[in-house]
Amino acid sequence: MHKKLLAAAVPLMAVGAMTGCGSSSDSGSGGSGGDGAPLKIALIPPSGGPLAVFGKDSTTAWQFAADEANANGGVDGHKVEIVTSQTDGTPAATVRAARKATQGGARFISGVITSPENGALQQQLPSMNAISFNTFGKDDALTGKQCSANAYRTVQNTAMDVDAVAKSLEKLPATKWAIQAVDYATGRTAAKIFTAAAKQAGKQVVLTQYAPLNTTEFGSYITKIKNSGADGVFAIEFGADGVAFVNQGAQFKLFQGLKSVLGFNMVSEPLFDALGDKIEGFYNNIGYVHQLDNAKNRAFVAAWKAKNGGKDPYYVQADAYLGAQTLFEAVKKAKSVDPAKVKTALDSLSFDSIVGQVSIRPGDHQILRDSYLGQVEKQGSGLGWKVINTVPASETQPQADPSCKL
Amino acid sequence: MDLAQLLNGLAYGALLMILSSGLAMIYGLRGVMNFAHGALYMLGAYLAYEVTQRTSFWAALVLAPLLLAAVGAALELGVFRRLQHRSHIEVGLVMFGAALIIERTIVLIWGDDTLPVKAPSALDGTANVLGTDYPAYRLLIIGVAAVMAVALVLWLKRSRTGLHIRAASHDTETAKILGIDVDRVSLVVVALGAALAGLAGVLAAPYFSVQPGMGQSILIMVLIVVVAGGVGSIGGAMVAALALGLIQTAGNVWIPSVAVLVPYLVAIAVLLWRPSGLAGKRVA
Amino acid sequence: MSTTAEQVPSEVPATDPAALLAPAPVGSGLDRRTVLRGLGLAVVVLVVGLFVPDVISDPTNMGIATDGVVLGILALSIGFLAHRSGLISLGHTAFYGASAYGLAIATTSWDWSPMQAIVFAVLGGTVLGLVIGAFVVRTPGVSFLVLTLAIGQALHQLVVQDSVRETTGAYDGLAVTWGADDKVAGIAQADIGNAATFWPLAWVSLVVVLVVLWLVGRSRFGRVLEAIRENEERARFSGFNTYVPRLIAFTLSSAIASLAGALFALKASFVSPDTLSFVTAGDSLIAAIVGGFATLVGPLVGGVVYIYAQSELSDSGNLQLFTGIALVVAVVFLRGGIVGAVTDGGRKLRTIVQTRKGAGR
Repeated sequence: MHKKLLAAAVPLMAVGAMTGCGSSSDSGSGGSGGDGAPLKIALIPPSGGPLAVFGKDSTTAWQFAADEANANGGVDGHKVEIVTSQTDGTPAATVRAARKATQGGARFISGVITSPENGALQQQLPSMNAISFNTFGKDDALTGKQCSANAYRTVQNTAMDVDAVAKSLEKLPATKWAIQAVDYATGRTAAKIFTAAAKQAGKQVVLTQYAPLNTTEFGSYITKIKNSGADGVFAIEFGADGVAFVNQGAQFKLFQGLKSVLGFNMVSEPLFDALGDKIEGFYNNIGYVHQLDNAKNRAFVAAWKAKNGGKDPYYVQADAYLGAQTLFEAVKKAKSVDPAKVKTALDSLSFDSIVGQVSIRPGDHQILRDSYLGQVEKQGSGLGWKVINTVPASETQPQADPSCKL
Repeated sequence: MDLAQLLNGLAYGALLMILSSGLAMIYGLRGVMNFAHGALYMLGAYLAYEVTQRTSFWAALVLAPLLLAAVGAALELGVFRRLQHRSHIEVGLVMFGAALIIERTIVLIWGDDTLPVKAPSALDGTANVLGTDYPAYRLLIIGVAAVMAVALVLWLKRSRTGLHIRAASHDTETAKILGIDVDRVSLVVVALGAALAGLAGVLAAPYFSVQPGMGQSILIMVLIVVVAGGVGSIGGAMVAALALGLIQTAGNVWIPSVAVLVPYLVAIAVLLWRPSGLAGKRVA
Repeated sequence: MSTTAEQVPSEVPATDPAALLAPAPVGSGLDRRTVLRGLGLAVVVLVVGLFVPDVISDPTNMGIATDGVVLGILALSIGFLAHRSGLISLGHTAFYGASAYGLAIATTSWDWSPMQAIVFAVLGGTVLGLVIGAFVVRTPGVSFLVLTLAIGQALHQLVVQDSVRETTGAYDGLAVTWGADDKVAGIAQADIGNAATFWPLAWVSLVVVLVVLWLVGRSRFGRVLEAIRENEERARFSGFNTYVPRLIAFTLSSAIASLAGALFALKASFVSPDTLSFVTAGDSLIAAIVGGFATLVGPLVGGVVYIYAQSELSDSGNLQLFTGIALVVAVVFLRGGIVGAVTDGGRKLRTIVQTRKGAGR
């Protein structure tokens, strides 16, 4: 047992030593908010599994934001420090890593990817005196039933994105829709909102079917869609499920007979290579595109490309960067890195960002920002997004989630 | 259920059949549940990706099973033979550990991303089956499985090696007394079983998505098939695999809300009714 | 799994505190003196253990210790069943998860006090164990393993069904919240995530479980179980009812798994389908094996080591790889697991070290 404790103590001491060197001020005050105290941020991404790549990309973007801020003399004079500790993606391990990080003086947590991890973490934030920024998980419950006074979401939630898609429905040629949804909160919410919107737009929903999460065999579902007489498919299938659905749909020649294929969280930049040309013309919700035309975004994209071999940022990176900007703006407004003061600043924060003017909704700590509908098109040698419609937050989900009790 | 749905059930069942007949063969002979079978299947799919990138899918269809046969031979020599005096459950647990090791090693080599494997362009389209357009690639899977099933059963029933396998699976000790080289027979069986897992992996690559979780999710299904089909019975496993494919598809069509529970409920029902499976202890 | 039993040392120095925690030497029973000594030792261990948070001042290590004890209790339940009945279960997550969900639903949806919820959760998990056990304990070997796996996975699928989302939260999981005034063992909800505060609850539960398992192991009932495990037919012909003892063992085991589930839900204040996953089922079984379930404390050690590894090795993403290697090494080389190897006088350990030294030269 001695050896084990010792082994555990060594990395801790190392972290302590590093932070000591990193800051010129008296260390150990971690997060007390005094002048020149560092702004310490803990990132807790998963090290393996299908979502690991998103954790890695979020980490890169946070580090990018930190480097950028530090190059300009820090955030309101506070040097930004990032501590990353990867976990196996289980909620208990994430909470343990968060406790370890807060013990090391980090009061701001991000890079947590899955919903169960965020849900578990949010329960314990107040007792850790820490604030979390969810820049990836869109599940409504995180700013709904499971919301926490110390948790902020800087990415759109599912309801916002679905509303944006539903509001764009009339721009799509299909009139008879089939809904293929994952049997998951997202799938159910999306199907419900879409059906109501279709009715309003004078369109029909001829089939609604749900496939369990981690479905690999879509043959029976695809056959049903083909037999339904639909001329459009609204598919809420993500990750490996989405890839399997698209690949098998192509084998069945499903998409050739359709006027519109509308995905929800189904096609995105990381999957362009895996899905290939068959998704050209597909519509999908998008949270961010690098073409956004505003000064802040142009500067961000240019700086990003310079540092990342000319590659454009995609939504996971940009959303994480936006999370960092949100924290930095709040620190500037609070003139402190003390979590209580930053929290007060966050609760009424509104600022100009890479996605235009955004604000935090006080009732559930959900960021209000635009959602988009995009269409996949050929861009250069690969695929890219064409923005079809932009729907501001004021039109998607103007009210705070009533099930959130802060 | 129309013809297309029937074919859907057959295609899924066919894939399970290829996978589970390999597992059942190994189980029948060595008495060991090969918990690494899902990992071998996954390895087959990743090898398919690698070979398809370099040459063609058809090359993958031949090469990957051959490579997997070599892996199987290594497992026989390194694990099954060395540990044959141990209890079967202990060896099963070793294979469980091996599965974790293989799956992580695959991710270390090929990464966490979902990988694309294109079906050969000749099979990209649909073919007409009795007036129904159906994906040619899925017909290939059904065809391969049918050929495999017939060949395997004939080989087991007609050939000398097949006779030895059946004898050794029925009663290892007696087979030894009769002069059958059980070690050699076992080498053939485990290599073949692994090759079949690899074959299933190659066939699954353009069909399902190639990703790190693929081995684990299918392992549970195949375990259920083999145990429900009758411990060690290849015929039983084949029938159970086809039945599960059809039942699952029927479930998706008729009772979609609870279809996901169907395989588990069927397995539980079968095992409670007949703990040694549908076929009992019969080899082919 | 009869082979693992042979690894148990039959003689241990009586002065060694581990002696009474070690399994029953063959032929020993439960005379009054043994029971009193055992209980006496348990009280000492219980009291000494309560000071652990004073020794481990580092909250991270304290977190590992607490989570390790909770996983250890789950591993103990699996190890007990494997050791005493020879039944290897890949489905104890059913009881662990059902209990965790029971606690979450009772506190959050029904506004029960946490103490009532614990009782409900553990009883619920135990009844589930009794019902499932009534069907499955007859099933032999690998079929038992696959059957328990199927049951655990069926429950997992059931919990994530959308039709029960209002109750279980489906994939979103369920937060555990209870009244601001309610306390469990003197702990308010706001403090329960703090490992040092939670420790007494986990430790007392652990010691109780160990005492129960020790008593059962040394009792006549324990020997009946072993007789059935060694040769079910012979035991039956000798006039034993072989069904009821195994059912009792299964039910006791599920009760302990349920206790672990309730503790987990309390500590995390959050329950997700992960508690019912195949990975959790596999990892808890591996913890029991790697720790060595032929000894009383083996699975506990396995649980703590697993959590420690999860904490320290995750950076590389290779936890799964190391888990696999540990399992292979434990089964092939250590056989009695970590504790088995140590109590074996380190014989095998020494051999390995010597071979390694030899190879180094």
